[in-house]
Amino acid sequence: MAGMHALHKILTKCARPPQKSVSLGEFLEIEPDVFGVIVGVNGTEAKRLAADLEELGIKDLPLRERIFAVSDHASPAPTVAIAAAQKLWREFLKSHRIRTFDGGAGVSHLVLCEEGLVRPGMLAIAIDSHAPTMGAIGMYAASLGGGRLTLYAIGRYVIEVPKVTLVRVTGKLQPGVLGRDASLYVNGRLGQRGAYNNAVEFAGPFIDALSMDMRFTFANMGTEMGAVTSYIQPDDITLDWVNKHGNCEYTVYETDPDFKYDSVHEVDVSKIGPQIAVPHAPDDVKPVDEVAGRRVDQAYIGSCASGRLDDIAEAARVLQGRKVHPDVRLIVTAGSREVLKAATALGYIQTLHEANAIVTSANCGACPGLHGGILGPGDVAVTSITRNFEGRMGPGGEIYLASPATVAASAIEGRIANPLQYR
Amino acid sequence: MKLRGRVWKFPQNDINTGLIRKQMYNHLPPEEQGKHCMEALDPTFAAKVKPGDFIVAGTNFGCGSSTPAHYSIVALGIPAIVAESFGPLFFSNCVGGALWPILCPGILGLVETGDTLEIDTDTFEVRNPASGKTLQGEALPEIYCNMIQAGGEKPYLKARLAREARS
Repeated sequence: MAGMHALHKILTKCARPPQKSVSLGEFLEIEPDVFGVIVGVNGTEAKRLAADLEELGIKDLPLRERIFAVSDHASPAPTVAIAAAQKLWREFLKSHRIRTFDGGAGVSHLVLCEEGLVRPGMLAIAIDSHAPTMGAIGMYAASLGGGRLTLYAIGRYVIEVPKVTLVRVTGKLQPGVLGRDASLYVNGRLGQRGAYNNAVEFAGPFIDALSMDMRFTFANMGTEMGAVTSYIQPDDITLDWVNKHGNCEYTVYETDPDFKYDSVHEVDVSKIGPQIAVPHAPDDVKPVDEVAGRRVDQAYIGSCASGRLDDIAEAARVLQGRKVHPDVRLIVTAGSREVLKAATALGYIQTLHEANAIVTSANCGACPGLHGGILGPGDVAVTSITRNFEGRMGPGGEIYLASPATVAASAIEGRIANPLQYR
Repeated sequence: MKLRGRVWKFPQNDINTGLIRKQMYNHLPPEEQGKHCMEALDPTFAAKVKPGDFIVAGTNFGCGSSTPAHYSIVALGIPAIVAESFGPLFFSNCVGGALWPILCPGILGLVETGDTLEIDTDTFEVRNPASGKTLQGEALPEIYCNMIQAGGEKPYLKARLAREARS
C-alpha cells in the first residue's frame, strides 16, 4: 500500500499483533481502545451473555476498564418487558464492574465524546449503527455487528480494512440555511449506498468552518450513505472541543499526501435552501418547498443526528414568542444531559415550554420507535432524526427528515413549512 | 459443506433490518422472533417457510440499524441468505449467529421463489439444479468461515480458548 489514510494508521496500531501497514479489504483482528455498550432491551441476551462468559470460564473481562455502558434506547423503560430486560442488563454490567451511565445521560456515542472517554486517534467499537458519529473528533469509530461475545470474552474484533470515500464540501450557506440542510443535501447527492462498505471522510472549506455540533451531524449521517465509519481530520476547532471535554492525551493521525481515495465527491452547498428527505429513504432529498403544505401530526427534534445545542438553539429561535399548532405534538429530546443543561441555562428550554413543546430527558427518544413519541398508523412526522425508513418511528407512520428549524416551523403551522419566513 | 434448499426471494434493494424484523419485537427472546420475520414485507412468510429454506435478496440486504434482526431468520431454521450485497452490520451479525451470508452478484437472475438452490460453502459456488446454471459467490474470510462452521461465536471461542490454553 502506498500512502495510508489516518484511519488505516489507527488500524495498524490496534491490529493484533500490531502491523506496519494494512491492505484494503484485509480482515484484521483488532483490540479496540474502547468498547461502547448499552443497557439493552432484550433480557434473554443479557442472561445468555452472562451464561456464555461463565461457560467459557471468563471471570475478568480483558477490556473491563475500557467498556462503557449507556442507557439510551427506550430509557427510562416504556414497558414492563423492557424494564425487566434493562434490570437484567444492569445486573450483568454491575457483576462485571462496567462503568454505566444510566437514564438521562444521553445517546451513547455523544456521551462517550463529552466524557472524554474517546479521543482523537482512538479506535472504538460501539453498539449502535450511528457509532460513526464519534468520527467527528478524528477517531476510528465503528458499529458493532456480530462479535459481541468475542469482545467481552477476549477483547478482539474483526474489521475489514475499508476503502475511503472523500466528500469535499464547499461553499457558504445562504442565510437561514443550516448545517443539517447541508448534511441532508450531501446524503441526497451521494445516495444510500454512496459510501457503501467504505469509510467516509468529510473535508473541504465548508467542513473546516463548521462547529463541532454540526460536524457530529455530518459524521452521523455517513451511516446513511452505507459507510462503516466516518472521519473528520482534527483541527483547532476539534482540539479546542476535545480539551474542554476530558483534557486527556490524544494522538492526531494524518493521512499521507499520496493516499489514494476510492472516490472523491465535491459538493457545493452555496446555493441550497432548506432540505427535506421524504418517506421512506434518507437519500430521497428535495427542497422543502416541494412538499410544503403536507399535514404534520408530530414534530420531533432530537437524536444523535440533530440533538445538539446548535440544533435546540435553532428550534428555540424559530419558536420564540410562537405556539405549536394545536393539532401537532412537538417533542424535543436533547442528545445528552450536557446539551440539556446548557439549553436550560441559555433559556432555550423555557422558550420551548412557552411554545407548548414536550421536552423530554436526554436519550435516543422517538428515533428508534421504542418510546417517547411512537407514531401511530397514518401519522405524519417531520423530524430531525437519523433515518426515515418505513415504520421506524412506529409501523404505518410516515417520516420526513429536516433541520430543527424546518421541524419547528412545521410544528407552528401544522404542515411542512419553509423556516426561512421565521428568520 | 453442500446446502440444498428452497428459495424465498425478496428482490427489493435496501431492505433494512427494521423490515426484516420490526424494532418493536427487539425485546422478544430470539427464538420467538421467527414468527415476525419479514412481516413488514410478507406477513405470511413465517408460516410458509420451512427449516432449510433460503432467503434470496437484492442489494444492500439488512442495511440500517445494527439491531440483531438475524435472530428472526435463524429462529426459522434458515441456514443461508444469498444476496446481491449485504448491509455490513447485518452481514457480520449473521456470521456471529452461524447464518451463512453469501454475497453473490447476479443471484436475482438465477432463481425464483420456489426454486431449489444449492450452495457449496467451501467453494461458494451457487447452483440452480433445474437450469444447471451456476454463479460464483464471494469467499468469506477464513475467520468468518471458522465461526459459522463452529456453530457461532460461543463454540468458536470455546475451541479457540482451548487451543490457546494448549499452546
